[in-house]
Amino acid sequence: MSGERGGGRGRGGKKDDKDKGKGDRPRGGGFFRRRRVCKFCADKIDYINYKDVRLLSPFIPERGKIQPRRISGTCAKHQRALQTAISRARQLALIPYVTE
Amino acid sequence: MSQTRQYELVYIVSPEASEQAIADLHTQVEQIVQRFNGTLDKTENWGRRKLAYEIGKAREGTYVVETISGPGELMKEVDRRLRVTDTIIRHLIVRVDEDLSVAERLRSERKSTQARRRTARGLPPEPLPSERRGDRDDLDNEDIGLEGAEVQR
Repeated sequence: MSGERGGGRGRGGKKDDKDKGKGDRPRGGGFFRRRRVCKFCADKIDYINYKDVRLLSPFIPERGKIQPRRISGTCAKHQRALQTAISRARQLALIPYVTE
Repeated sequence: MSQTRQYELVYIVSPEASEQAIADLHTQVEQIVQRFNGTLDKTENWGRRKLAYEIGKAREGTYVVETISGPGELMKEVDRRLRVTDTIIRHLIVRVDEDLSVAERLRSERKSTQARRRTARGLPPEPLPSERRGDRDDLDNEDIGLEGAEVQR
């Protein structure tokens, strides 16, 4: 169990396994514990289409900023492509630059 | 010099423009494309959409997407024309041929790797529909769940 993701905080060892199926639940200190897999690698998306708002929206939290890699788990290559796609979508007013 | 490349043009027409004006804009673009010996591969009209933020005074606009093949000079002219057109509140031109060919290469590479690995394991190179899993898994499950419910009733 601890081998799954090393360095787990002993206390939640069992709970981790339970949560895994349901996805990510924030625990202690507002951190997300999840197996970070790049969504685009997993879904085999080679071209991140800037016109596809449904594809991009999970990476844009309420504020309108791009979600950092450390949270979304996207790999470097796809994060770069995502960046371009999001800025194009912003130019076209498909997604906001900022939301107050 | 003038190489053929594929571009994607998206423009947002002001909400005040009539259907006729939108059609006129499309023919205008078409004419420029013809003049430069390009081809208009695809046109998509998304219709009226709410903008994520206000552009000028507009809160919504009509989106039109056109896929155009042709030389760079063609797109330069299109860009210039759209820029001076008042009814167009925003436009974007993106060159897509390189990105799409990269995507295509990655896809074929993945397929050939899969085929090689599968033959090495003594399986047919193409996965059978029965052993498919992944994106559509949850959808399939949903279907099964619904069918089951119907049978019970």
